[in-house]
Amino acid sequence: MFRALLLFLSALLLTSGQSMAATKLVNGIDANFPPFAFIDKTGQPSGFDVEAMNWIAKDMGVEVSHQPIEWDGIITSLLTKKIDIIASGMSITPERAKQVAFTQPYWIIKNVFVVKKGSALTVETLLKGKKIIGVQQGTPEAKWLKEQIATQRFDYELKYYNSSPLAVEDLLNGRIDAAAMNDAPATDAAGKKAVQILGTFGMEQEDFGYAVRKEDKELLDRINTSLKKLMASPDWEALQNKYELNK
Amino acid sequence: MPTSLSVLVDALPYLLQGTFNTAVIVSAAMLLGLLLGVAIAVGLVYGNRPLRFVLGLYVWFFRGVPVLVLLFLFYFGLFTYLGLPFNALVSVSIVLGMTTGAYQANIFKGAMLSLPRGQFKAASALGMTDLQTIRSIILPQILRLSIPAWSNEYSIILKDSALAFVIGAPEIMARTQFVASRTYQPLPLYIAAGLLYFLLTWLGVAALRTLEHRLRIPGYTHHGNP
Amino acid sequence: MTTDTTPILRVDHLRKCFGAACILKDASLSLRKGEIKVLIGPSGGGKSTLLQCINCLVLPDSGEIHLGGQRIDLANKADLYRLRQQVGMIFQDFNLFDHLSALDNIAIALRKVKKMGKREAAERARLELEQVGLAGKAGLYPAQLSGGQKQRVAIARALAMDPKALLLDEPTSALDPELIGEVIAVIRALAAQGMTMIMATHQIGLIATLADEILFMENGVIVEQGAPASLLGPGNPSKSQGFCDRLNDLADGGG
Repeated sequence: MFRALLLFLSALLLTSGQSMAATKLVNGIDANFPPFAFIDKTGQPSGFDVEAMNWIAKDMGVEVSHQPIEWDGIITSLLTKKIDIIASGMSITPERAKQVAFTQPYWIIKNVFVVKKGSALTVETLLKGKKIIGVQQGTPEAKWLKEQIATQRFDYELKYYNSSPLAVEDLLNGRIDAAAMNDAPATDAAGKKAVQILGTFGMEQEDFGYAVRKEDKELLDRINTSLKKLMASPDWEALQNKYELNK
Repeated sequence: MPTSLSVLVDALPYLLQGTFNTAVIVSAAMLLGLLLGVAIAVGLVYGNRPLRFVLGLYVWFFRGVPVLVLLFLFYFGLFTYLGLPFNALVSVSIVLGMTTGAYQANIFKGAMLSLPRGQFKAASALGMTDLQTIRSIILPQILRLSIPAWSNEYSIILKDSALAFVIGAPEIMARTQFVASRTYQPLPLYIAAGLLYFLLTWLGVAALRTLEHRLRIPGYTHHGNP
Repeated sequence: MTTDTTPILRVDHLRKCFGAACILKDASLSLRKGEIKVLIGPSGGGKSTLLQCINCLVLPDSGEIHLGGQRIDLANKADLYRLRQQVGMIFQDFNLFDHLSALDNIAIALRKVKKMGKREAAERARLELEQVGLAGKAGLYPAQLSGGQKQRVAIARALAMDPKALLLDEPTSALDPELIGEVIAVIRALAAQGMTMIMATHQIGLIATLADEILFMENGVIVEQGAPASLLGPGNPSKSQGFCDRLNDLADGGG
């Protein structure tokens, strides 16, 4: 019986040995971030960044696989070599740039408040009216909102969630008054649930970039080259249309 | 807008695959825990003082630190530091295995101490070595006695496996979340997840009960140390 | 039949203390082949400890043990295992292996210690069971056997190892009175076949009729020893006779 166990454990371990080869890249994604990254009906990773990465990988002549990781630990996963890239709607920020190397920006996003459909709340009320605002843990908007309480004398309570969709759910439950998130997933939510986008709340717009480890300079160059090609090709607009990012 | 039911039906194959992964994690963890538990229990009961001290530390550590913390500690910390390329699935299995090993060690140790000392003496008197005695006389008895407690451990580890989503293991909880994020239909999905866990618990406990019945020794009811 | 003059078993000045309490202070004895020595005396006198020191289930603090003329190195585990393979023990509480059938109880040591094959061991086990009159109970488990049957299986189990000597630690003390007879019968049969034995017991019959020598133990020391003829008999002032008188009183007056 013990022998069977040892065989089983070794089999389990063997199936794990991946992500060490250089020709196979692992892309870490927040699989709870439609339309940039999510799991589709058939159980496959999909989304704007997933497909863009597939295109880039093909252009580079390498294989890529997409690995869902908790957003909060995704940079740690990159640094500890569990994944090789982060292509998943990640905003370029100075703090993040200290730890990772970003490609050129490929998308601009704004951060918006999302409220229940038909709500009478305004941005002003949300910022100063002792309301509860939900936001995803580990995001620039979460950080900004926290800092602005002191800097701009805002008055609201922040609730943190593992993912934006969870914040939207709690919005519908009535536990929070608004959810703060990137505009693209906000549009996605508004299309599926009885919520609406209220508007921006004063945060500077951000750029999305793909992230790799700082020491992978060659990888960064190759990705940038292919990314430029992609953005110049008709496929880029096709992708945007597919994921309704032009609205 | 897709109905709750259609969302569930579409997602079912994906979730069932996740259920399989959960089953793999729990099986691997319980088996690892069995190996560790027996070894540690033997060391705690029959070992010398320094060995007992070291093993005691192990048990104390894995019982004292929450599984969630252990997952992060091992997955992001220890495994990376030691250069071990374990993916999330394997990492969870190992961490849960080491945790349940600590609890199982206590189960087996209790059973060993409750076995009449005469069992060991009689085997020794016949000339059996300590190892032979432990393997042929002690273990067969205490493993049988421990099945109910082991079954309990199984259901605990099954529930703990849901924590694996924090390191991205493709098990039931993580997958349910992904579908919920895409479809914004949490209720039917989380109910389904709950049912899947329940199913796994029920199957496991039923299997263990059958095993216990198969291994039953006629007339054997354990009364403890005479 | 010539009797070998080298004792089969000899122990010198065995001493065992548990913490501050010295249960065994100084005990020496020797056994020739075919001899039967009986240990008697009050509870706590050291009889059980002495027996368990002889096969080192309890390691003596000091003293020497010689088996078949060879000194046993008490620090050497292999020596101890070998000692126990050649000296059998019968316990007051039988100590049958609860998870094995009567047959397997006997066969397991044959397989593990004597490295016999499965079939060979089973056959030998069956023979031993027949010898103690339990051939039909081979497939039963200890929980399904009576006390007397359990002890007989225990004896069969010890005999299967072809021991040079047998140590019996109050073999009938845990038995109901009506079951004592079947075990005594087996022990008598063993004696008749020339088995070398040391037995601690309260059974008058065995003490008086089976013993070649009686050893009276008190406070961890053998205070009196000699043949039954010299120690026992109506009016004999020996401690042994005094002890037997008290046992008789219990048997007659009590129960």
